[in-house]
Amino acid sequence: MKFAIALFSPAHSPASRRALRFAEAALESGHEIVRIFLYQDGVHSASANTVTMQDELDLGEQWARFISQHKLDAVVCIAAGLRRGVLDQQEANRYRRPAANLAAGWELSGLGQLHEASQQADRLVCFGGH
Amino acid sequence: MARSMLIITRQSPWSGPSAREALDIVLAGGAFELPLGLLFLDDGVFQLVAEQKAGRLEQKDLTANLQALPMFGIESLYAAQRSLSERGLDEARLSLPVELLDDAGLSALINRYDHVITL
Amino acid sequence: MATLHLLSHSPFSDDRLVSCLRLLAADDALLLCGDAVYALQSGTSQRKALELMPDSVALFALDEDLCARGLGDLPPRLQQVDYGGFVELCCRYDRTNSWL
Repeated sequence: MKFAIALFSPAHSPASRRALRFAEAALESGHEIVRIFLYQDGVHSASANTVTMQDELDLGEQWARFISQHKLDAVVCIAAGLRRGVLDQQEANRYRRPAANLAAGWELSGLGQLHEASQQADRLVCFGGH
Repeated sequence: MARSMLIITRQSPWSGPSAREALDIVLAGGAFELPLGLLFLDDGVFQLVAEQKAGRLEQKDLTANLQALPMFGIESLYAAQRSLSERGLDEARLSLPVELLDDAGLSALINRYDHVITL
Repeated sequence: MATLHLLSHSPFSDDRLVSCLRLLAADDALLLCGDAVYALQSGTSQRKALELMPDSVALFALDEDLCARGLGDLPPRLQQVDYGGFVELCCRYDRTNSWL
């Protein structure tokens, strides 16, 4: 099956970890992930600026590594990202913000990417809230 | 054949960006002429109250954007009857033409779509 | 054409479970994860509501969440799944509806 996975809550939320473990299990079961799409507060899961203590789970880092390892298409909604201060260098320059903080492997793009992924996927699974 | 998507919006217009971000998903899909439905459920029905004054909270007017949905080809608009009555809202005085559904109608609606996003 | 509903909020501070139960179709299923597994807490009206769902509605919970919270005395109809099982459920049901 082809899965599109959408995440609506930040890296410190249980939903973000749940989404990642689900994504890992989907690949292990031989399924394909068409795209990971971050929306609403999920955009914070792609921030390179979070700092976790050494004895805590660094989910932002785990997401980035997972995406890189499996060469996944990983998109952050640009409108949601701007609103919440998750910017790539281009947007940081455009809006004259002091820093770009989008983690490697993620790309800012529009909601059209969520719809495109949903059109390609057999299943859209959303994670968010708690 | 294009896959259809139902967006269920459950938050009031004033509780944060959720109502607007649900609408943005709908508008983005409309731009690609995808088969979409929008269901107002639970506190989401507060988005349908007429004569709200967004400016008082220094917010943009969501009602005007919702009323423009048919112009974007989105006409499958639904509201949960129970959610309206629980909240003391008069079905006859909503700001949008929506089809009212009872609980059985809601189950049937969800099961007609390929994908569902509930915000 | 059945739906797998995903819940992750505690039912004691939130109305998602109540709202979800009202619109379950006969062949739909419920997967409880995160704090939503607290709905299985014995002696509660939430647990009762789950037990009163039609037999045709399947009830699942994510095993890690049950274990982490020390929940025992689970209803016989409950099926525990791990992440592999979670993925399989998403394939088995025609769509998922996460109550975000």
